[in-house]
Amino acid sequence: MNNRRVKNIIEALGKHKDEESIEVLNELGTNCPIDEIREMTSKALIRKNTHRALELMIVNKGKGINDLSARVAMCAINELLALKDKQEAIKILDDTINMHSEKEVQDTARSVKALMSFSS
Amino acid sequence: MQKISPLRSSIEAFNKFRATRLNKTNKTQQADQKTQTNPFGITFKGTVIQMDVFEKAEKASESTKNPISLKEKMQNTGKLLASAWVGTINKFSSLKTNAIAFGNKIKDSTIAAAKKIRDFGNTKVEFDVFKYNVSRLQNKPVSELKSMLSSELQGVTNEQ
Repeated sequence: MNNRRVKNIIEALGKHKDEESIEVLNELGTNCPIDEIREMTSKALIRKNTHRALELMIVNKGKGINDLSARVAMCAINELLALKDKQEAIKILDDTINMHSEKEVQDTARSVKALMSFSS
Repeated sequence: MQKISPLRSSIEAFNKFRATRLNKTNKTQQADQKTQTNPFGITFKGTVIQMDVFEKAEKASESTKNPISLKEKMQNTGKLLASAWVGTINKFSSLKTNAIAFGNKIKDSTIAAAKKIRDFGNTKVEFDVFKYNVSRLQNKPVSELKSMLSSELQGVTNEQ
């Protein structure tokens, strides 16, 4: 596997100004069966720090902080904690805690929010 | 009393002057000869024998004792010419070998360089550095990046 090429493309999509890049990452990266690529995608999306990108990583079941792989989930949480501006992320976490239909997703969001409040 | 013409008197005066001049020059020559050093210290009747005297005598004796025939002289010159010719041939042959070696060296280095360039061209990694550069990829349209990523991911999933 040529990690470097995939990594560079994902990184370029993460830094791309076009909003379409988020959809591409969501479609191809987060649905990839390989943990490593999902990890790289979640990092790139969280670093974007936009509403749509963070929503994908926090709200969706099986993606970002709710990923089935503990490694990918932990990586996404770490990336959220490393954000300089956490305002948008906390807002989405609050909405998820209050309004999401799945209890599991709510719990995860609650834990992450607690971690974020401790770290900031 | 004899009457002396001015022309005659002037000739006489000139002759006198010449005689005194010759005497003087002879004396100085003799003095020079005496002062000259001779490595052998051989004198002949009080005068130091000059180098040319020895040379002359030697040459004369040699020529009289052992006269070199024209044939021998010709042979000697032939030998000299032959040796000179051999030396020139050697020089040229060494130059030739050097030139050939230099040419071969250049040829080998060129071939090696060409091989290296070919290898460089065959390696994908070297070109990937430019093609898959993040800042370069960022300027590309998303649709192109999407197709690139999908093809790469397809390759990766097939590998696994």
